Amino acid sequence: MNRRTTLLGVAEVLAWWAVLALLWLVFISTVNTLELVVGASAALIGAFAAWGTRRAVSGW
Amino acid sequence: MNGWTVAATATLAAGVGTAAWGVATGPLRRRVVAQNLSTSLACPALLLLSEGYDRPSYVDLALLLALLGPVGTLVFARLLAEELAADPPHAWGLTYAVAGFGAAVVIAVCVAAGPSRALVKLLVVGTLLIGGNLTASRALSGGFAGSRRG
Repeated sequence: MNRRTTLLGVAEVLAWWAVLALLWLVFISTVNTLELVVGASAALIGAFAAWGTRRAVSGW
Repeated sequence: MNGWTVAATATLAAGVGTAAWGVATGPLRRRVVAQNLSTSLACPALLLLSEGYDRPSYVDLALLLALLGPVGTLVFARLLAEELAADPPHAWGLTYAVAGFGAAVVIAVCVAAGPSRALVKLLVVGTLLIGGNLTASRALSGGFAGSRRG
């Protein structure tokens, strides 16, 4: 990985994280700090999984 | 007893009941379509029940059903690919009618919910419901070349 692909990868994970965290925020019934912490963490795991899956499928 | 629960009961009895009958009888091409439409009808019924009984947690069940129903149909489309290729189902009129019914129910519960996070959740459920239903129907009628490989 060079500098450009690293930046692209970070941007992609951040984009996935934002989408998944927003989805979590929409799906929960009551918004409190614990929910937000769990949602942000789960969204980060999901973002890395989505990034890895996309790389495995498209091959770059 | 209110309009929502009456609509949900009618959907379950007339829609899911008919779909269950379609799954249990007739040729394979009709059974797979009925199997696909049963989840597409049960999901709006759950949305109506959620509104009727004022229990938002029912929307979570509808969300799961909207997500997993088409996945189940895709498994059938894959496993029965050879049989379906010989006798493919053509029920686009019924499929679009059920998709339209799902859209009408989602719009009705969205109007009842008003602008809120719950409305966005309902829209996500509706998108998954209709998109999943149409995708699964296309897979059943052999629309995706990959699903024929078995």
